[in-house]
Amino acid sequence: MIPMLMRLKVSRNPKARGLLLPVFLVWILLFALMLVLLPFVLVAALITWPSGQGKWLLLTYPMLISVLFHLSGLHIEVEGRDENVLIAFL
Amino acid sequence: MSDERKKILDMLQKGKITVEEAEKLLAALVSPEETKSGVEKPACKYLKVIVEPGPQSEDRERVNIRVPIKLIRAGLKFAAFVPKHAHASINQALHEKGIEMDFNQFTQQDIEDLVSQLSDLTVEVEGKEKVRICCE
Repeated sequence: MIPMLMRLKVSRNPKARGLLLPVFLVWILLFALMLVLLPFVLVAALITWPSGQGKWLLLTYPMLISVLFHLSGLHIEVEGRDENVLIAFL
Repeated sequence: MSDERKKILDMLQKGKITVEEAEKLLAALVSPEETKSGVEKPACKYLKVIVEPGPQSEDRERVNIRVPIKLIRAGLKFAAFVPKHAHASINQALHEKGIEMDFNQFTQQDIEDLVSQLSDLTVEVEGKEKVRICCE
């Protein structure tokens, strides 16, 4: 399942709760952009097909979507002396 | 329970196969490692990397990273995008780090094998900092 929310925290206080960002809005914009770029990607894939790169160009879309769909559960937390950073996809 | 087990048990329930046949089929599904231990290994979902300060360290930095295995698998597929002319540089860099591996021979199957074996991985290093890499 594609992550809908992202928890982001950049704070000096380790007990701070951070922000809950609605990343689904980013995905909507990204998918719209991918849709707009699709004809250009198809043309580029056709042009580069003889060199063998066209196949990989076509595979970019499913691979990118696969990465986005598996982002859920990614958790990166760094506690430093001065600052704490947390990025988590929910 | 895996799909194969469910199918076998369904077939048994419907009377398509006998108890003995179901037993044989179920036994065939169990890998030799599972047979030895007698316990089915739980699937590994996340790769965890934890870095904590050691007992003598004054440093208070902590790192806790949890990466879904499916994300690693999806990300590694991007290795196919590495241009062929860059393979020699990658091989050279690997050689300098003491890893004798030919990137040209690295196939999709190798990636699958590598990720599937991550469940057995546990690395623990205790020094100035405590580093633990494991699957959960």
